[in-house]
Amino acid sequence: MQKKRSAVFLSIALVCTLLLSACTTVAGPANPAATADEPAALQIGLVTDVGRVNDRSFNQSAWDGVLQAAAELGLQEGEEVKYIETQDSKDYADNIQQFVDAGFDVIVTVGFALGEATLAAAQAHPDTYFIGVDQFQGEALPNLTGLVFREDQSGFLAGALAAMLSKSGTIAAVLGTDLVPPVVAFKEGYEAGARFINPEITILSTYHPGEISQAFTDPEWGAATAKQALDQKADVIFGAGGMTGNGALQEIAAAPGAGTEIFCIGVDTDQWETLPAAHPCLVSSAMKLITPSVLDLISTYAADGSMTAGNYFGGAGLAPFHDFDAQIAPEIKEKLNEIAAGLADGSLSTGY
Amino acid sequence: MHIFSLRRAGQLLVVPILAVFSALLVGALLMWIFGDDPLAAYRGLWEGAFGSPRAWSTTVRKMTPLILTGLSVSIAFKAGLFNIGASGQFIVGTVCSVAVGVNFEGVPAHLPLALLAGVVGGLLWGLIPGLLKVFTGAHEVIVTIMLNYVASLFAAWTVYAGGTQGQTPGPLWDVNAGPISRTAEVLASARLPWIFGEPYRVHWGVLLAIGVALAMWWLIFKTTLGFATRTVGANSKAARYAGINVRWITVLTLMIAGGVAGLAGAIETLGLNHRFAPEFTGGVGFDGITVALLGQTNPLGVLLSAFLLGALDAGSARMQFDSGVAADIIQVIQALVLAFVAAPAIIRQIYRLRKPGDLSESTVFSSGWGR
Repeated sequence: MQKKRSAVFLSIALVCTLLLSACTTVAGPANPAATADEPAALQIGLVTDVGRVNDRSFNQSAWDGVLQAAAELGLQEGEEVKYIETQDSKDYADNIQQFVDAGFDVIVTVGFALGEATLAAAQAHPDTYFIGVDQFQGEALPNLTGLVFREDQSGFLAGALAAMLSKSGTIAAVLGTDLVPPVVAFKEGYEAGARFINPEITILSTYHPGEISQAFTDPEWGAATAKQALDQKADVIFGAGGMTGNGALQEIAAAPGAGTEIFCIGVDTDQWETLPAAHPCLVSSAMKLITPSVLDLISTYAADGSMTAGNYFGGAGLAPFHDFDAQIAPEIKEKLNEIAAGLADGSLSTGY
Repeated sequence: MHIFSLRRAGQLLVVPILAVFSALLVGALLMWIFGDDPLAAYRGLWEGAFGSPRAWSTTVRKMTPLILTGLSVSIAFKAGLFNIGASGQFIVGTVCSVAVGVNFEGVPAHLPLALLAGVVGGLLWGLIPGLLKVFTGAHEVIVTIMLNYVASLFAAWTVYAGGTQGQTPGPLWDVNAGPISRTAEVLASARLPWIFGEPYRVHWGVLLAIGVALAMWWLIFKTTLGFATRTVGANSKAARYAGINVRWITVLTLMIAGGVAGLAGAIETLGLNHRFAPEFTGGVGFDGITVALLGQTNPLGVLLSAFLLGALDAGSARMQFDSGVAADIIQVIQALVLAFVAAPAIIRQIYRLRKPGDLSESTVFSSGWGR
């Protein structure tokens, strides 16, 4: 019994030493990032939306832009360039503050949901440059760029491509939630583009019915919905909704006739690069060029300290056809170029 | 005889403390296996939770809703009920308090009314599983889990911005938000004020939560109702023979549990977020289960464990910032804590502890099943 009791004391003593060592070591060398005030090296921080930095989607595209900028400027990941992955949507402000406190010069926040927290931080810290990906700015702040995209336009191109590829006269879209405006823009653009080519076309668009936290992370639902669309004779399917959309694309890639009679279109990034499993059917992706836009904005700032006020429209369009390039008829490519030009000069409207 | 006897307190505390210790140790091991530096990580965690006034304020802010959801789960445990619905009750409380908070400009006592609305919302949401259990025998675990989904989808509907093809927007949607689904901000008269000013974002809700915890302790251990509740939890058949109305206690306990979780939602909204949007989930409701078990379902223990889990949450961002260790490891550690406190036999085996003596209040977690 004596032995057992001493074991208890021993373990409690261990806890105490652990706690104590944690205190004392902190008190010693203060955090270097917070105190180092060298003017030379730019410090760039990124706050993700709830999720991982390597999500093969939004967060990753923005982070890749930051990394490319870092490479150009000779900055070290983990030293001058860091990210924080948000765990809970209530933490946006805290996570941004973490970078502000450490004296970072550029803070990139990813996702429409961080808009308010980013705006508040930009107002409170006019010397820090903020880039809000997918955050439309109602009024311009000098030190805040809202990096936004015309999702309806790239959706329009995707819809036009889908309508031209479809032989059955039925196409489909498997979508994240309509609680998020960019997804709605993709869908409306897709439908308008398809009807622009073929007013009689049947379009099966389905939003994920769940709450916002599930809508983009439900590949099973995406796959089941894609299957359903195939059963209803849809032969081109647009998957737009993070992992949910990816589930749809993978389902179609495995279906009989994939790549010959049945095609799929990805979203946000060139999913040929990010989702190899979809290669059998993936003709293109309706892209938001997040990575090059983030790189551009940071490079501009790094060159002469100029901050882009208000909204910055990043490129939006179709990804390359990759292995399907030979399979897409020249007339289709020509028509798409014509549409893209029309959208760019305003002679063509998506109606969104 | 007295609840505060040192020996008793020691017996109650030893398993939770060792559970936390073991979870941190396993967490460190995991980090080491993945090539990260656990010491740097824990140093960052400490710094982020207690290293500065701002860190402290984050810890306190994170702790506040955990106290209440922890209490919600605890009081249900006292009656032998497993309330997995704190998440849904939290969300309904949020929606109800926002509904009052954005309307009724100029009404006297706006803040208390909005808080009360949250409590009533949660209370009613807790009443449903209570009634279903008592009158139909439906198990509260199943019903409360299902009601979580109903609550979050209902909440999303209330703020839905409406479709582009003329679908009707939800009743609480902010007409100035354009295509964004969310409510307007609650009026200033319905907000819980900041204690230390805006930058620290600590609101008076934390004192309210601590007050509720003390009240709950008094209710459970010093009142007839609390005694009846504990008796039902210990042995419902004996309670019935003793003349206790078991049905009434069951319904009432789930209502109180719901009300407390609803208050948590109201406090988070009126103190911190000032609005509801679908991305505000009821995750703290699930964390409340960990808090309750770690706190041995004792309201004072809940205060301690909410503080600890709040600190873990608060420090995670700084940990990732300083050491590059993914903040997810914190969730792993919390899950390990839960596993260790839920299976005290593991801890007793590892650390060779004696079986506890007669702890009349020891919680029976599994009594809900197989009845």
